[in-house]
Amino acid sequence: MTSLSYNHFFTLSLVIFIIGCFGLFLNRRNMILILMCIEIILLAANINFVSASVFLNDINGQVFSIFILTIAAAEAAIGLAILVVYFRNKGEIDITQINQLKD
Amino acid sequence: MFFVGSFFLFATFLITTCIFVIFSKNPVNSVLFLVLAFLNSTFLFILIGAEFVGIILAIVYIGAVAILFLFVVMMLDIQRTTLMSNIKRYVPIALLFAGIILTEIIYLTIYKSSKSNPNIITRSKNNTEQIGDVLYTKYFIDFQLSGIVLLLAMIGAIVLTHIYRPTIRRQNIDKQNSTTATDRVKLVKVNSGQGIEND
Repeated sequence: MTSLSYNHFFTLSLVIFIIGCFGLFLNRRNMILILMCIEIILLAANINFVSASVFLNDINGQVFSIFILTIAAAEAAIGLAILVVYFRNKGEIDITQINQLKD
Repeated sequence: MFFVGSFFLFATFLITTCIFVIFSKNPVNSVLFLVLAFLNSTFLFILIGAEFVGIILAIVYIGAVAILFLFVVMMLDIQRTTLMSNIKRYVPIALLFAGIILTEIIYLTIYKSSKSNPNIITRSKNNTEQIGDVLYTKYFIDFQLSGIVLLLAMIGAIVLTHIYRPTIRRQNIDKQNSTTATDRVKLVKVNSGQGIEND
């Protein structure tokens, strides 16, 4: 059919995962970008699951990919709700200023 | 050849958009690049024959999650200059952690992975039918639990962002149901030329 192999997709998901981790450490000021980097990391996990499922001819990987999608949507909703509440209370989304629990 | 060429096209586009998500100055641009990245991975999934997950990815991520991000980004009033300031401080530690993770995964790939490399096998059933066969039988409990997780996320988001304002008059259903007609309406006999007294 093709000369595409699992290694192509594994390398792709690896690169996307690394980009997500890099962005997570790079954007220490912006909480929205951190949530987006988490979405990118989950996308890399999804690519890995789905391509492994296709190339090993096992459908369970794609079912798990659907569960990952569910959890990612729930996580995004909760994270953005926390972000909105935090912005309403402090007027900024700089995460270096989140130290109110110390007092 | 078509498959390999399409793969490299979409993969290059995907990696480029992911890099743009991280490095754009404006959060709105980041969200739009994120949409483009999800669209490219949808194409990749369809390319290798996982149509159902690809379309679900497009619907859930582009239709729900990215639009949610866009709403929040537009709702918050953020000065974009303060967001990306002193980014240079974090470049070394970010490179360090990215390098560590990259080294770990390359090590695991080279030394631990099996050499078997199965190809795509044509199946008798289509992709959606195969997923449906296991999703509602083998993974039935997990399917229901993910529904509960979504319900909890919805309730949690509403409870977190809801503002209670005591000045607003609300509908009180108990009070409504316990009223009788005599509390509201009074029948009076009006004599001609006299009118009624207001009480």
